[in-house]
Amino acid sequence: MTDDLNSLDPYVQWIVAEARRPVYMDASGEARQRLLEALRAEPQPKRERFAWLLEPRVALRPLVATAMAAGLVGIGLIGGLLIHRDGRQVDEPSAHVASSQLPGSIAPRAVKFVLIAPKAARVSVVGDFNGWDSSATPMTTQGGGADGTWTVFVPMQPGLHTYSFVIDGTHFVTDPSAPQTPDDGYGHRSSVVLVGGSSS
Amino acid sequence: MSMTRRVMALLVLAFTARAVASAQSAEPATRDLDPLGRLTDASRYQIELILDSARVAGLPTAPLESKALEGISKRVDSRRIVVAVRMVFRSLRDARSVLGEHASPDELNAAASALRVGLTRAELAHLAQTRREKAITVPLVVLSDLITRGVPRDTASQTILQLWQRGAADDDFLGLWRGVERDIVSGTDPGVALLNRAREVPSRVPSTPEAGSRPEGTETRNP
Repeated sequence: MTDDLNSLDPYVQWIVAEARRPVYMDASGEARQRLLEALRAEPQPKRERFAWLLEPRVALRPLVATAMAAGLVGIGLIGGLLIHRDGRQVDEPSAHVASSQLPGSIAPRAVKFVLIAPKAARVSVVGDFNGWDSSATPMTTQGGGADGTWTVFVPMQPGLHTYSFVIDGTHFVTDPSAPQTPDDGYGHRSSVVLVGGSSS
Repeated sequence: MSMTRRVMALLVLAFTARAVASAQSAEPATRDLDPLGRLTDASRYQIELILDSARVAGLPTAPLESKALEGISKRVDSRRIVVAVRMVFRSLRDARSVLGEHASPDELNAAASALRVGLTRAELAHLAQTRREKAITVPLVVLSDLITRGVPRDTASQTILQLWQRGAADDDFLGLWRGVERDIVSGTDPGVALLNRAREVPSRVPSTPEAGSRPEGTETRNP
């Protein structure tokens, strides 16, 4: 490379030398000092009072953030399913129950419960399908209850279910038209219904 | 940390403490959402242990939870609820040991009830040996009910087993149950009622060539 320069015209050699010469700008530091003073004199932008609360403190990678968001959505879905499973939605239309079940599950079937209790003021059916909650599935009478026939349709999953009627909130009675379980350990018997036939 | 941030942090802490205090004061409302929360702490702990044992053994927990909720609904003392749940657990475990791993939850539940009403493990095993790919849920439900209504255990188990071996279907057992129930209400002795009604149940076992020329699956009436 040096040999190449020596072979050039002297004027060109001078130009090259000038171009290669380091340039020292304001070696005394005055320009730097002026720049800092100018920055200090510049008014700072006004900061929002609670902006520090909103400032991101943790930086997440996009994949991690996506996974966390999916996890939160999953927790919400599972919570919704559990709330539905406890049987408190049992008195809602069966179409609603069917539409909210997971794909592949067996559809619930409407089971009609009937009890003739002319002297009862209120009757409900309780069982493993509604958590034995006496307020979950009230039965109704037709025609003002003159004949004392109380009925209710309950969407139930196929399988063996244990149930009982509750008269006036305290008196548990078995269904006279259904097989009974042995003593439940509480001094009562319950009734049994098999929804949808046997499963082997 | 600036002064403003410190003040804000203190405010956040104060609100958090108040929220925790409110949650503790609202414990009764939370208990309403958690039915098992109505049990005493000791009873609930014991029931949780039973549920865990059932899960470990691969037993269905639904009958156990149902039994606990049933007791709560009937306002039974917590200790009796624990006893009842434990009894169901033991009978489910016995039923599983007899019926095997492939028994459905319904079969286990029905078999557990039958064992609790007095059916022996040998009788249950005999019934299970002749399953022929059919669920024994309904025969066991009917058997338990019959014993509960006063049919002698031996009479009930032998009759149900004979019908089962003759291929009786679920509808046959339920029809039998309705007839016996009507007869008992009418004053007939429970054991006699069962024997009489059992004769009306058709045999559905396919006829063998030696037995006659009936086509396969033809119903035959018992004498």
